[in-house]
Amino acid sequence: MMNGMERLTAAINGTLADRIPVFCNLLDQGAKELGLSIKEYYASGEHVAEAQLRMRAKYGYDCLWSLFYVGKEAELLGCRKIIYAKDGPPNVGEMVIKKNDDISRLQVPDDITSHPAFAEELKCLRILKAEAGGKYPVCAYLTASMTMPALLMGMEKWMQMLMMGPAGLRDELLTKCSDFFQKQVAAYRAAGADVLVYSNPFGSTDFIPRTFFDEISLPWMESDLAPGGTAGVVYYCGSARFNDVIESVIQNLGIGVFYLSPMDDIAEGKKIVAGRGVTCGVINDIMLLEWSKEEIRAEVKRMIEAGKPGGKFLFGTLVMPYAIPEENIRTMLEAAYEYGRFDSE
Amino acid sequence: MLEQVMTQYNEAIMDTDRDRALQVVHDALALEITPEEVVFEVVVPAIELMMKSISENQGVSLAQHFMAAQIASEVVDDMVPRFRKAPQIIGRVVIGTSQGDFHGLGKRIVAGCLKAMMIEVTDLGLNVAPERFVDEALAHDAQVIAISSMMIHTARGENGCRRVRQILKERGVEDRIKIAVGGAPYRFDPELYRSVGGDAWAENGITAGRVITCLIREVRK
Repeated sequence: MMNGMERLTAAINGTLADRIPVFCNLLDQGAKELGLSIKEYYASGEHVAEAQLRMRAKYGYDCLWSLFYVGKEAELLGCRKIIYAKDGPPNVGEMVIKKNDDISRLQVPDDITSHPAFAEELKCLRILKAEAGGKYPVCAYLTASMTMPALLMGMEKWMQMLMMGPAGLRDELLTKCSDFFQKQVAAYRAAGADVLVYSNPFGSTDFIPRTFFDEISLPWMESDLAPGGTAGVVYYCGSARFNDVIESVIQNLGIGVFYLSPMDDIAEGKKIVAGRGVTCGVINDIMLLEWSKEEIRAEVKRMIEAGKPGGKFLFGTLVMPYAIPEENIRTMLEAAYEYGRFDSE
Repeated sequence: MLEQVMTQYNEAIMDTDRDRALQVVHDALALEITPEEVVFEVVVPAIELMMKSISENQGVSLAQHFMAAQIASEVVDDMVPRFRKAPQIIGRVVIGTSQGDFHGLGKRIVAGCLKAMMIEVTDLGLNVAPERFVDEALAHDAQVIAISSMMIHTARGENGCRRVRQILKERGVEDRIKIAVGGAPYRFDPELYRSVGGDAWAENGITAGRVITCLIREVRK
């Protein structure tokens, strides 16, 4: 039987594997796995690494995550308050940028690896690499410069500044966020992360008009990615659709892995990618809270039938809601393993 | 002439060009188009046109929703004091994000649209306790409580819409106050609004204007 890294490599190279890679993004569920509260769980990189390894072994999927929660990035830029829920992801509880003057005061640490908020994540990543390196890809999550301000000042205020200016201040903030991104991606690469999920809802025309994508989003994405290149980078718009910009992303950014929205047409996405990269079909995992076993299997079958022919395809989830019953996770995964087998054709 | 103003205003909105939209309004007033006409013949139809574009899947982005609502809200604030007589308010809404939810963008888009449609909005802000939704709705004589949730656990949680429904029931005011919900989880599960006790849901901030107007009419029938 192949391991996750072999399956992923085969998907990238378009060579034969036993089945398609399956990425199941279980994060907060790690707390349940270890019998801890979500706050206790995320206090330690050892907890997260242990739970990631346990959950992967228990369910048999192909990825491991060094990500704790998205708000962690705001901590690296000065956020001191995180609000923990008992049944969902932690939230940023204090905006680093409360007024425009705070933008000039925003400091990007020279060495983010020495920041205490990064230390635990780094600890987790190192454990995952030591235990499963080379066998299962370790994923890191990075927020694009254009989306990062939403974590620092709130989406509402950021949207206002982005669309209405002042442009000078907006660009000052984006410059700092792009600098932060470049440092962060370099740190993850140095620590051995295999997959770098580049998250940017502003890279989707569900969020911004196409002209804005071409004139503003694209240049900032180039700024983020140019220094380090796109090796291991996955294009992801945080559940927003992006089939209509894939061609531009390939041409201008050179990214080769596309983690679609559950609302994107998988066959269409794959047709646009046209063998130049890997297309990831992503299930609407909120429905895993409600669907019956038969409905889950039918949806997985539909998705895989749309994406598997010709290979270079991966089955994935968004960030799986905490409350999804374990039985439904298993049903989804068993269906993905079954329908994703290449010898079944 | 009014038609030309409408066209120019709509183009500015779709281009997310606030300055141009406000200039169109300013020029219209100089051409002796009345403030009432600006609001009811230009701004409100622009929102309705956007609703139509969304329903026809013509690819209207969140930024365009935001700018349409933002500009509408600004123009209405500027125009209403210039009306010959105070406009008739068609209803009242209290709006906020559910407890534990700190995402305010959707709520702001909804509030901007409602204001243009002459619906009085009381914004309760972020992370609103269920009791407060009901207390404020009663205090403001609101017909609708609008609850925005961007995360599945705040949409489904025991202190979100479910609890608001329970309190309305306990206080015997379910026929006086309806609940509208919205936010990302409802787009991924269009039946979710029923299971959490909502009366209706809106797919986005712009169409929320129509959904909430219908609920107000239902209460006032």
